[in-house]
Amino acid sequence: MTVPARRFPYSSRSPTLPTGSQSPFLPLVLIGAHRIAVSGLVDSGAAINVVPYSIGLQLGFDWKRQSQSVELRGNLESVEAKAIVVSAIVGDFAQVRQAFAWAESDSVPVILGQVNFFLEFDVCFFRSQLAFEVRPKGAS
Amino acid sequence: MSLIDVLPGLQSLSRGDKIRIIQYLARELERDEESPIEPGQSYPIWSPDQAYSAAEVLLKELENDKGQK
Repeated sequence: MTVPARRFPYSSRSPTLPTGSQSPFLPLVLIGAHRIAVSGLVDSGAAINVVPYSIGLQLGFDWKRQSQSVELRGNLESVEAKAIVVSAIVGDFAQVRQAFAWAESDSVPVILGQVNFFLEFDVCFFRSQLAFEVRPKGAS
Repeated sequence: MSLIDVLPGLQSLSRGDKIRIIQYLARELERDEESPIEPGQSYPIWSPDQAYSAAEVLLKELENDKGQK
């Protein structure tokens, strides 16, 4: 079945650096015990998906009850994190399961990385056009 | 003012001033490039790069999640 890719605009993260801070943020809905709309940085350099602490709480997770710790790297190296699995909806695509490292910090955006956002979605970046396209895997 | 007008003046400069002129022009050229990366600004890179063990844990959690459904 052919599912057309959906095109999304880049968005600026800093009013003082409107060009330099343009980033591919994807609007999506995450569903745990609660359903919330978030905006995730589509980051092909990230090994994993990450959600900040407040988002995990809003999804209904209890930090003390999550037993599976995960080790973050890069500038999140000092931040503790735990594994959580939620459902995610991008646009009108079918719902998929997504695993996240739930960081014990709010100084990190929602990050959509290789495991497992890029395992579920094919992504094309068109930075010169300030746009990117997303479609479910195997939907060409 | 053209290069021909400026050259005789430049040639008469001392060695030190010539070096200062080179440095000044290099800075000017750098500015002309209009780099979107501005000096003094901070650019956080949040990518959990090389978090492969975390990736393995998340994949295992997804497998467990699949088994529960």
